[in-house]
Amino acid sequence: MAVQLIWIGDKMKMEVIPKIIRNMFLKHITTRFPHESNPIPDGYRGEHSFNIDKCRSCGLCSMICPNRAIEMVEVPAEYKDKYPKKYPKIDMGKCCFCGLCQDICPSGAIKLTKNFFLSTFDSSDVIKDPVPTKEKNS
Amino acid sequence: MELEAIGKNEYELFFGPAHPGSGNFSVKLKIDGERVVSARADPGYLHRGFEKLMEYRIPIQNAVLSDRICVLEPLAWNLIHAEAVEELMDIEVPERAKYIRVIMAELSRIQSHLIWYGVLSIGTGFQTGFKLAFGYRDFILDLFELITGGRVYPTGYICPGGVRRDLPESAKERIPKVLDKIEKMIDFVRAENPANIARLRDIGVLKLEDAIRLGATGPVIRASGLKTDVRKDEPYEVYDRFDFEIPVRKKGDAYARFQICLEEMEQSVKIIQQALKGLPDGDFIDKRFSKLKLNMRIPEGEVYVRNEVARGEAGVYMVSDGGTKPYRVKIRGPSFLHLIPVLEFLLRGAQIADVPAIYWSLNGCPADMDR
Amino acid sequence: MLEKEIIDKIEKKFEVEGSVQRERRIIVKIAPDKLVELCKFIKDLGFEHLSSLSVTDWPKRGIYEHTYHAWSYKDKMLITIKTEINRDKPEIDSVYPVWGESAQIHEREMHELFGVEYKGNPDLSPLFLEEWHEKPPFRKDFDWREYVRKNFYDKENERERVYFEGV
Repeated sequence: MAVQLIWIGDKMKMEVIPKIIRNMFLKHITTRFPHESNPIPDGYRGEHSFNIDKCRSCGLCSMICPNRAIEMVEVPAEYKDKYPKKYPKIDMGKCCFCGLCQDICPSGAIKLTKNFFLSTFDSSDVIKDPVPTKEKNS
Repeated sequence: MELEAIGKNEYELFFGPAHPGSGNFSVKLKIDGERVVSARADPGYLHRGFEKLMEYRIPIQNAVLSDRICVLEPLAWNLIHAEAVEELMDIEVPERAKYIRVIMAELSRIQSHLIWYGVLSIGTGFQTGFKLAFGYRDFILDLFELITGGRVYPTGYICPGGVRRDLPESAKERIPKVLDKIEKMIDFVRAENPANIARLRDIGVLKLEDAIRLGATGPVIRASGLKTDVRKDEPYEVYDRFDFEIPVRKKGDAYARFQICLEEMEQSVKIIQQALKGLPDGDFIDKRFSKLKLNMRIPEGEVYVRNEVARGEAGVYMVSDGGTKPYRVKIRGPSFLHLIPVLEFLLRGAQIADVPAIYWSLNGCPADMDR
Repeated sequence: MLEKEIIDKIEKKFEVEGSVQRERRIIVKIAPDKLVELCKFIKDLGFEHLSSLSVTDWPKRGIYEHTYHAWSYKDKMLITIKTEINRDKPEIDSVYPVWGESAQIHEREMHELFGVEYKGNPDLSPLFLEEWHEKPPFRKDFDWREYVRKNFYDKENERERVYFEGV
């Protein structure tokens, strides 16, 4: 019995206690999210951005979307003389962020950005209408 | 869990669907004292009807849909669907795309085995294993975010014809560093913990004749003694150019399956290192598919493709009648056989404290069972 | 070649149409009343693992086509057996005596989704669907879009209109 206690004491001194002291100074692998964050790479698939001046109204993005999240609608009445055709309205609640609309658009009007902070309390924020913005550089 | 009194000493227990770690699957057990008398599986909580959904979409939209067949390893199911369409349309995939596909499939296998190790540890009471496994899995998910654009669901990255984007330059330096960390973790974990082993040794023994009759494949049948692997029996992509081994055990209990889990991860690391050394230059997608088109016809015919995913043998049977959409798709998932016949056979006569160890050592995914 | 030898051995005993699709794939077509004898014969030849079984619905020809895929660990070969049965009254013998529980669970799924009766299968209770009183759902003449529109379409909700009124 006394021999076993001496053996356990030696094992603690020579193997376990040095490991405890070394582990106290190692860098941890947890990232404390809202205060620090990892860098996001290029090519990340986040929120859509739509440039109405480049759009040709071909309708290919609406035909290829697997979940029918894109629908071609007309713009509100005050912009109708400058933009007479139909433009895509995106419903982000149905979207699965696959990027097929970005790959098929022939003029590069729809692109996916790096923004992923998309949660909201108001369910009308989810639908993005094709309204032209007032400022020229946005 | 609900209790209901039946007969003299028996009662019925639901090992229910809202259980942490088992996903959405339930088993009804009839128990007498401490022993299980009989078990009945109750599937169907995640049935989404993929076989009917795929009949109404063109192949590139099906590639986006195919990574939700099994939640825990989406890239492997992307690959088998792409192989089925390519064999029907008679397409030749470029060499660089084949090497990239093998690297992504093996990374997905390592990540799925880390989940298996973590869930098996926490089910038998070893919490440190769970934290290590899910912590190191995050390094692999960061690699997926760099290459495909999403951490868990790479929506259709492996599509019919090749891959959708090329491998970035920084990925070639980051992959060997991640593999070094995983090798160090496997060495650390292999030092044996006596309490964990006593809960797994001689539990849930499955002999070889029973395994073939009940339809087990993959790591479950390799733990019972048969040396078979689809990557060596009928090599697909470029697996015949690499040098790796298949671990086999004879005993068939839960401890043998646990040892095979760790050894398969080491063999996958070897395959990725060989593939990175021999990666050639060239195109990453076939010329006919580099621009998306909406009206490509699939010629008439039928095909059956088999692959080795992390859980066992997967199969896709596709029939086409000459239109733009497939006529009938049948998906064979490995967990359909592991969680209904094999589990009901192994749970008969077991003690109630061994039910988690048996269930989690079979590595079943409920999404792959219900499709 | 090994594929040709296996087809010759089968053609000596049964009346079949055999063909070789590519390396390691053989297709054999047979009438439904001799099906279980053929399965016992090829299990003795070494095809002891039943990989999958499936049903395809051809409404224009008026048949259900059954396919069985079996793999041999010894010769590393896959054989596909096809039969045809009538579509309005589908009945066939079960292969449970040959391949055991792995055949029984696949037949239970096909009974529920296509409505095929298997004579000799010990357990054909429902697997995925609960309290289903309509036609079997995977047939080509079951209109699933009408079923969802009748039972679940909420006309007040503007976002659901895209699925039911067309694009």
